Amino acid sequence: MLVERKKWRLHHIVYLAAGIGFLAWCADGTNLRPTELASGIPKIAKYFALMVPPKWSFAEIVWKPAIETVYIAVWGNVLASLIGLPLGVLAARNITRLASVRFVAKSTLNLLRSISELIWAIFFVAAVGLGPFPGAVALGMNYAGILGRLYAEAMENIDPGPVEALQATGAGRIQVILFAIFPQVLPQFVTYMLYWFEVGVRSATVLGMVGAGGIGFELVTTIKLFEFRETAVILLVIFGMVTIIDYASTLIRSRIY
Amino acid sequence: MNQEPPETTTPGQERNPTMVSVKDVSKTYAGAGATEALRNVSIEVREGEFLVILGPSGAGKSTLMRCINRLVEPTSGSIIVDGREVTSRRRELRAVRRQVGMVFQQFNLVKRLSVLMNVLSGRLAYHTLWRSLIYSFNKEDKRIAIECLARVNMEHKTFQRADTLSGGEQQRVAIARALAQQPKVILADEPVASLDPKIARQVLTYLKQIAGELGITVLCNLHQVEYAREYAERVVGLSRGAVVFDGPSGKLTDDILQQIYYRDSEAGDDDDV
Repeated sequence: MLVERKKWRLHHIVYLAAGIGFLAWCADGTNLRPTELASGIPKIAKYFALMVPPKWSFAEIVWKPAIETVYIAVWGNVLASLIGLPLGVLAARNITRLASVRFVAKSTLNLLRSISELIWAIFFVAAVGLGPFPGAVALGMNYAGILGRLYAEAMENIDPGPVEALQATGAGRIQVILFAIFPQVLPQFVTYMLYWFEVGVRSATVLGMVGAGGIGFELVTTIKLFEFRETAVILLVIFGMVTIIDYASTLIRSRIY
Repeated sequence: MNQEPPETTTPGQERNPTMVSVKDVSKTYAGAGATEALRNVSIEVREGEFLVILGPSGAGKSTLMRCINRLVEPTSGSIIVDGREVTSRRRELRAVRRQVGMVFQQFNLVKRLSVLMNVLSGRLAYHTLWRSLIYSFNKEDKRIAIECLARVNMEHKTFQRADTLSGGEQQRVAIARALAQQPKVILADEPVASLDPKIARQVLTYLKQIAGELGITVLCNLHQVEYAREYAERVVGLSRGAVVFDGPSGKLTDDILQQIYYRDSEAGDDDDV
């Protein structure tokens, strides 16, 4: 069957030109220099060459901060959901009628999200001292902004039919949310939680740079001391953790549908 | 809102008392082409009556039903259900809604939940928020839910997920959910428009039995004349937001049908849903 092709029109060409122009402008701004990158590749290769063979015995030292990284990611994400879910409910157009409340909730989420976890970590290390605890809180703050927004969007896209049906039974607002909205979005919520847990583990690996616990401290230290064979072990451990979490979350998601 | 004093004098009639009283209800949807969905509609429905509201799509049937349980706020007029004026004050509204079950064209079950959980949802208005927070129901609720499922012959699917059921089965579960409210009135908004004729008749039979055997007042929106003739005792014909007929289904003459369907569609036509 022949599908009629859309013809190119003047405004399409204008949009395309504008898009290319925008990319070129940004390229100029970022000082894109592909040739230098290409000529620099041997230097990068030299770094990686210094990493082999990995000093496997170092694994005995890093497994503890590695697990700590997972702790931070777990509690960071729990906090993120605890803060993000109520804000998400308040920000969802089909749940919260008052535009002013939605605006405040959305602004709060934007604020939480716009400050990266590393910056939050600096604040909380200053507040409660070094260690994994400020790391978890920092992760929780940033991810609350992200998850809250994703939760709100998921709830806005549900089938409104069951909501109307439960309103008609005389159920209260929160009962309607619990029985008509949450069951519909549960699979999406779980998917988001698992995905951002995985991202959280990766993020938590750098929190140590500012003293907020986890494997990041060792990572930065080995690089600064040019102990690249140790660095290799840390990177492999992180890679291993992320891989395991990826498999686990795929398994869990296939069970919840 | 129009504050009509409730009827104090009930005319001495042997028939059942009035359950739903719609008085001069109008609804105009605000917006660009401000449409008048209902124009001074007045209907009295007695206890245990099975009333069919007949009309083409867009006649205002859905709006009328949603005015009764205030899913839609009428522009003017008053509605009394079981002697209580329906208002938009939250607490009182919830008390009225608990008495009024609703069945929808699209069934509106929560698909990921079990049949039982969907029916139990009909009990929520009897519960405190604290109990609902842990998704808990008591034995009595469960007994009522199973009993309601049995009434529509769906108890064998109690623990199945709602999305594993066929359309007709889902609608029967939706009826059970409405029954679980132990309502005095059931509003059925085009309950068979998404079902094939055989299943449609089955569902209408259940609804009619509910009115006859449980004494629940059933208001049923339909756009198919044949079903109205087959099932209704009394028919209210709605056309362009106004009542154009109110009488026994036997008196639905071709003239009247032409008036209801305003001559641009064949009587008995059931193509538009």
